Order: sequence, then C-alpha cells, then structure tokens
Amino acid sequence: MTAPTTSSGSAETTGVPGAAAAVPSTAAAQPVTQPRKPPRALRLRDFPGIAPIAIFGVVFLYVPILITTIYAFNDGDSALIWKGFSVRWFGEVAQNANLLSSVWVSLQIAVVATIVATVFSILFALSVERLRAKGSAIATAILTAPLVIPEIVLAVATLGFIRMIGLPPGMTALMLAHTSFCIPFALMPIRARLRSLGTTYFEAATDLGANTWQMFRRITLPLLVPGIISGAILAFVISLDDFIISNFLSASGATPLPVFLFSLIRRGASPAVNVIATMLLVLAIVVTLITFWQSQRRSKQHA
Amino acid sequence: MSLHLGTGTAPEAPTVRDDRTGVNLVPLATKRKKQPKVPGRFPWIAVIPALIVAALFTIGPLVIIVIFSFMSRPPTGGGIIYEFTLEPYVNFLFQSDFLGNTAFDPRYLSVFGDSLWQAAVTTIVCLILAFPIALWIATRPEKKQNLLVMLITVPFWTNLLVRTYAWMLILNDNGIVNTGAAAFGLPQMDLLYTPMASQLGLIYTFLPFMVLPIYASLAGFDFRLAEAAYDLGARKSTVIRRIILPLATPGIISGILLVFMPAFGSYVQPVLLGGGKVLLIGNLIASQFGDSRNWPFGAALSVITLVLLMVALIAIALYSRKSGKKVEISL
Repeated sequence: MTAPTTSSGSAETTGVPGAAAAVPSTAAAQPVTQPRKPPRALRLRDFPGIAPIAIFGVVFLYVPILITTIYAFNDGDSALIWKGFSVRWFGEVAQNANLLSSVWVSLQIAVVATIVATVFSILFALSVERLRAKGSAIATAILTAPLVIPEIVLAVATLGFIRMIGLPPGMTALMLAHTSFCIPFALMPIRARLRSLGTTYFEAATDLGANTWQMFRRITLPLLVPGIISGAILAFVISLDDFIISNFLSASGATPLPVFLFSLIRRGASPAVNVIATMLLVLAIVVTLITFWQSQRRSKQHA
Repeated sequence: MSLHLGTGTAPEAPTVRDDRTGVNLVPLATKRKKQPKVPGRFPWIAVIPALIVAALFTIGPLVIIVIFSFMSRPPTGGGIIYEFTLEPYVNFLFQSDFLGNTAFDPRYLSVFGDSLWQAAVTTIVCLILAFPIALWIATRPEKKQNLLVMLITVPFWTNLLVRTYAWMLILNDNGIVNTGAAAFGLPQMDLLYTPMASQLGLIYTFLPFMVLPIYASLAGFDFRLAEAAYDLGARKSTVIRRIILPLATPGIISGILLVFMPAFGSYVQPVLLGGGKVLLIGNLIASQFGDSRNWPFGAALSVITLVLLMVALIAIALYSRKSGKKVEISL
C-alpha cells in the first residue's frame, strides 16, 4: 500500500542531487552549445557551485509542503498510510462545526483588525510629518515595536495586561491585540507609497484651491490606493496567520483557526490536518499572486 | 513572523523591485533634519488613534511585564500579588531548598544557552543556504527572477503551523524517511520529538526570511561592475568576496536579525517537533503562564529575553554606524 507514495517521495528527494549534478555540467557546456545564445554578460553572472545549492534550497522549501498536500488527498483514515486518491477528507473537514466556527472567528478578527489598522495607519501616515522630527521618530518606534519584540513575550505580556485592566480573554481582546500588531504591517506600504509620491501633486492641488478635505478625497486617497491595498493585504494575512498571541487570548467560543489547528496538530498527524494545511497553502499562493500582480501592474504604470 | 527588519535603501528612490518580495525595504524613520511641509496633510492630532492602540496593546503590556517581574506570586494558582520582591530574578540563577539554603542553579541558564545555540545554528545554516539562493536568483534573467522570488515568497506567507506540521509528517515513525529507510532494510529511527527535529524545523521555517532581504540587496546589482572586475583579472571567487559580499552585507545583517531574533524566542517548533524533550526560552516562558503558573518568574524570563535582544540590536546598530552601512528597522 505504501509503495507508490514512497517511490514518489524518494523520486522527489533523489531528484535533488540529480538536478544539482546536472547544473554544473550544463553550465560548463554553455559556451559550446548556447541554446538561446545568452548575451556575454549573462554568462559572467554565473558563479560555480551556486546553482546546486540554490536548487537544493528551493526543493528543500517545497518538498515538505508538497508531501502534506499529496497526503491531503489520501483516502485512508491515517495521515500517512496511503489508501488511494480521494477528496473525502475535504468533505469531512468542510462539515466540522468546530473548524467552521474557528474560521468564522478568524475572519471576524482579521476583518476588524485590518479595517481599523488600515484606517489608523492612513491617518498616522498623513499626519506624522506634522510632528517635530524627534516626535515623529518616537511615534514610529512605538508603532513598530511589535516587529522587534519576540512574539511569545508580547503574548504573555498582553495576557498579563488584559488581566490587569480586567478585560477577559475573548473576541474583544483578540481584536484589539490583532489591530495593534497589524498597524506596522498596514503602515509600512502606505508610508512608502506616500513618500514615493513626492510633493508636486499636493502643491498643484493647493495652487488650484483645494481645501484639506477635497485634497484628501480627490488627490491623496486615490493616489494612496496601491499602498493601502498592499497594507491591508499584509495586515489581513498577518492577523489570519497569527498563532502565538491568539493562543494566549482565546477563550471558548473565540478560538481562531490557528489555535484550533494547533490543538489538532498536538493530537498528532491526521488527514484532517493535511486538508487544513493544504487550504492554508492555497491561501498563501493566492496572497503571493495578488501582491505580485499588483506590484507588476504598478511597475508597468510607472514605466 | 513577528519581526521584519529591512535594510535602508535611499528613501528618495524606493525601488519597485523590492515590492515583489511583499516586503518593502524602505527605512521607516529617516533622519531628515527638516521635514518639508507638504500641503494637504492632516493636523498632528490624527496620529493619536494609532498611538492609543499601540500604547494600549504594545507599550502597556511591556510595562506590565516589567512590573510583574518584580512582584510576588500568590500561594496557589496563576496571577500575581502586588508585593515587591526580587525573587523571580533570584530564582533564575539560584535554587532554595526547604532549609532555606540557596545554591547556584544553572538549569535556566542552560535553557538560555540551548536557545542561543539553536538560534545561532539556525542563523548560520540559513545564511549558508540563503546567500547562494539569493545570488542565484539575482543572476537569472528578469522574468525568471520574478518567478523564483514568488517561489520563495509562497513559503514565507504559508502559516507557520503548516510549515512546522509538514516536518511532523516527514519525521514521523511512519513518515517518509522511516518508510524509505525500512525499504532499504534500515532500522527505524526516532526522528520526531528530538532536538534535531526542532532544529530542522527552525531552519526550514526561517529560510525565506534570510533569502528575501539578501535578494533585495542584490537585486539591483549592476553586473557591469563584476564585468569590470573580470576585465581587471579578478577570479569569480574574488568577485564574490570583494564585490558581491560587501554589497549584500545590509541584506545579510537584516536577514540575521529576521532569523535570529524570532528563532531565539521560538515556541511552535520546539513544542511540535521537539516534543517534551526540547526546552527553549520560548516554551519555558509560555509554560510559566500555563501549567506551572509562576507568572512573576515568567515575567522575569521575558524581561531577561528582552534585555538580551536589546543588547543584540544595539550591537548591530553600533556595528552599522561604525561600518557606515545603514541598517534600519523597517518592513
């Protein structure tokens, strides 16, 4: 029963040294064969020994998640003993009430945290320059602190904090904490976009008599849209993926998806976990494609 | 992914290239002496909402954790009593027995040592793998570069639990490695729930965090420089050492920060892959707020961790000032 999968699995792993060995030989043969006549500069860009390690690294990144994906389509009741192809577990997972409620909890938190963090970030980005240089640096440092604090420390600290102010663990605490650590992720692309715009548009608008509100509605906001989209996507995914902080702030009835997934994983490998893992992988691919497509479109607009 | 540090590219020229990674490498607080007054901005009051949220849920907890670390624990259960004591910090280094004798106790120091070791190994292995990957991607044709960066970005965006769980499947007693070994008649190996598994999981989960910043610092590289070096008789190894490595240094430094700091405080990998056998500072802190419920001691451990990381950050800041290479904390 296990034979087909082990052969495919070992084929993938043995493919690594095989591919790695093939690369230097083609690189060596390149000056002679020149299949698509690479320009001279390109050959100068090749460094010996780099390609095998790089290809190994990329394969190393993908083999584990691909194995998880393959086993999500296992028909058997065990996570690892292959009993044939089936989408049965996708159906079973889709009917798991606890899972569905955790997805719903995660989505609610992520939507609230994304909207609040993005709006506050826009306000902050458009006003922080009005502070003196030192004040602006301090304000920015306060907002970006979650990026440099180890997550586990921030998690237990937040637990202590909500206990002290008398806020019970649950949805409100989760939404507030998520908003807080989403702000730096939402803020960064917005500020970068604002900085790249320069001053000319805004000076022109003033010269033509726009007031602050008109300027915001008609000039600033439309120009900021790419940064806002990037920031909102970042914030949304960061919130959806967060486990450590959520783990300390969740309560019964307010269990986000990663916390639920962790409790499943701790019970051991299972086909249901494989399916959820595959869905989260698909989410990552979708997010990558969206951000990528967006930046491509943007660079085309600039060109 | 709690930590995002980037290298400071010039703020006047934020390259569109960086955007492809989904990580912008534009410095946050640029030290401009005089901020140009741009019309149409909001009054300074508008910074308040974001600052209130941050003050409540970032600065507030940090202040509280420092306070907690100097407080007593209640006789039973979790939580704290507001009575000043240095006991949590004393407990970190010394152990008292029933007779009241205190003796030096290296247990917790060795947990810090183990965490430091696993984080250091993770950082070094990631660097050894990531530099060739980043250089290789940066030397591909433009179209291929985009695709490869996407390939690195997908694991970057994949949930940490999923990436860790994948190794549980592989290292399991019935996993790929063991079934493969059995096919060759090798005895079964205990791979999962070992320090090795935890280490492997750390390397795997943090590799993209090292590749992306190094790639970002190499992406705009003008290869005419390398060409000039070849014309002047440099060998490939010399070009890597004298031209490419210095160029990649800001990316390498931010990669080291991005990998080392979260690896040092890691929680998921030692718990899921190390089982009960790997005790790192991250799960030690977590357990103080869970099962054994000594909150003040957990708070003291958190403060010690924060201080250590702050020292590391300051050291890097000093290094970057000395070497004239700008490394700023940003996304």
